[in-house]
Amino acid sequence: MITADRLAKSYGSTRAVNDLTFAVRAGVVTGFLGPNGSGKSTTMRMVMGLDHPDSGTVTIGGKRFADLRWPLREVGALLEAKAIHPGRSAYNHLLALAQTNSIPRTRVDEVLGLVGLESVARRKAGKFSLGMSQRLGIASALLGDPGVLLFDEPINGLDPEGILWVRNLLKSLAAEGRTIFVSSHLMSEMALTATDLVVIGRGQLIADTTVADFISSNTVATVLVRTPGADRLADSLRSAGATVRGREDGALLVTGLDAAHIGDLALEAGVALHELSPVQASLEEVFMDLTSDMVDYHGQSPLEVGA
Amino acid sequence: MTTATVATPMPAFDNGHAGLANQVRSEWTKLRSVRSTWICLVIVFVAGIGLSALVSNVEAGQWSHLGLADRASFDPVRFSQTGSFLSQFVVGVLGALIITSEYATGSIRTTLAVMSKRPTVLAAKLLVIGGVVAVVAEVTAFASFFVGQAVLLAHGAKVLPAGSSILTQVRSATIPYVSLSDGGALRAVFLSGIYLLLLSLLACATGFVLRHTAGAIAAFVGVILVLPLIVSVLPSSVAQSFEKYLPSNLGLAMTLVTTRKTDFAGVLFTPWTAVGLLLVYTVAAVVLAGWLLVHRDA
Repeated sequence: MITADRLAKSYGSTRAVNDLTFAVRAGVVTGFLGPNGSGKSTTMRMVMGLDHPDSGTVTIGGKRFADLRWPLREVGALLEAKAIHPGRSAYNHLLALAQTNSIPRTRVDEVLGLVGLESVARRKAGKFSLGMSQRLGIASALLGDPGVLLFDEPINGLDPEGILWVRNLLKSLAAEGRTIFVSSHLMSEMALTATDLVVIGRGQLIADTTVADFISSNTVATVLVRTPGADRLADSLRSAGATVRGREDGALLVTGLDAAHIGDLALEAGVALHELSPVQASLEEVFMDLTSDMVDYHGQSPLEVGA
Repeated sequence: MTTATVATPMPAFDNGHAGLANQVRSEWTKLRSVRSTWICLVIVFVAGIGLSALVSNVEAGQWSHLGLADRASFDPVRFSQTGSFLSQFVVGVLGALIITSEYATGSIRTTLAVMSKRPTVLAAKLLVIGGVVAVVAEVTAFASFFVGQAVLLAHGAKVLPAGSSILTQVRSATIPYVSLSDGGALRAVFLSGIYLLLLSLLACATGFVLRHTAGAIAAFVGVILVLPLIVSVLPSSVAQSFEKYLPSNLGLAMTLVTTRKTDFAGVLFTPWTAVGLLLVYTVAAVVLAGWLLVHRDA
């Protein structure tokens, strides 16, 4: 259980996190979504006691980080995968961490096996690929068998097999009753992994909800219609109160009426229907809609650059 | 492999807390598991013994050509500790790196995310670096002393009678050498190692304050090497009141065999006062480092 209460943090004149309140419950994977620079990493650093909030509090199982007696056995975190001394072996890196919390050496071998790094355990961590470093970071988070786990962008640099592995690992850790808080800027990934969502933009809370509620409450039901009599149908749909937009390929996007109603109206108007399908907005689209005015760093398309 | 279930039984969780003993074990693992540590320590030992043999040999060869003033300042103990001029920078780098390397790689955040009491991290690093440097520096200091005296003996040196004055040395026809029991020699050799110990702690505290390898090493070299140059170009009345406070001159004061040396009389502090002052500098730097570590974001 992680609870943030009115967290605020500024760096100089930049307000990184502003009045952020949310709760992360045990037993499910909670996704932490936001565009780059939205304050996800800052929030995670404050959870781990690394950055001091300007105001507000954040607790892990009811305790502030500074009050944890065996931190590594209560909360594990993967914050920066590459934050490892390049000249130290993976084994010694984990051993040094284990020793800080009286964790037996055998547990080091155990987590190395768990993340599939036992064959490279004696190699210098500086020679690791980003994917191997992510696995080592996950191993260090799991060392103390903690009830609360934080992962900051854990699938960065992983191959498809690794991504699947992380997805399953997160779910199984949650199924064991742990609190799992995973940040990502990849909405599609969170749609597959997370049950709950905390969404922020420019350091402010946008939503603290479930993935399913987030999508349904933020999308207007849309129906896609293909018909040779588009103009005629559009008129009768509009007079029935619907909003109709034409797509470039000739299809109609209808909001305000469900598919059954649209079918009935088409029959009355004597128009043939070639396609009538409800459109499910993806988490990605909902997220882009919600945060489009909250992205700090916009890219330009090549056309705009020339103009 | 999709489960993190633990086969290894964890020790009792409700008792005690992660403390200094845990952190010291961890810091020792970190220090011994990077190659730069061993390179630095080997340099201290080899430079200590090698420079002692070299300088003692050169000085012994010149004895018969020396004038009275040079014979008066002929100090067999100091020749044997020449290596500490180099080693002070090596232990400085080692002391700074133990913390600045963590800031450089970002692993300081891993360190602080597994230890909720930040001063414990500072204390553990000081204990580990101090312990390692103390052992290596003392072994080196005494080994260098014996090597240096052995080289002088090979040149036909004779030990001066106990309690002999500087005049006896000047008038002596043969090269003098000293035994450990001779006036202040034991103290000088012992404090030569303590000087390196205190410098490594000072550098470590500087590393905690500046959080940057190049910055910490530059600051350290600046204080040891550049500050004396700046003071030396001040008007001599000003310089004289300042220069004995410089860490490098405190080091010199700690390793002088004062009963037989006169040319630094009044200019430098006595050996134990010098130790006390250098300790004050170190404690001040450590207190600042601790305050900043607790109050700054990692």
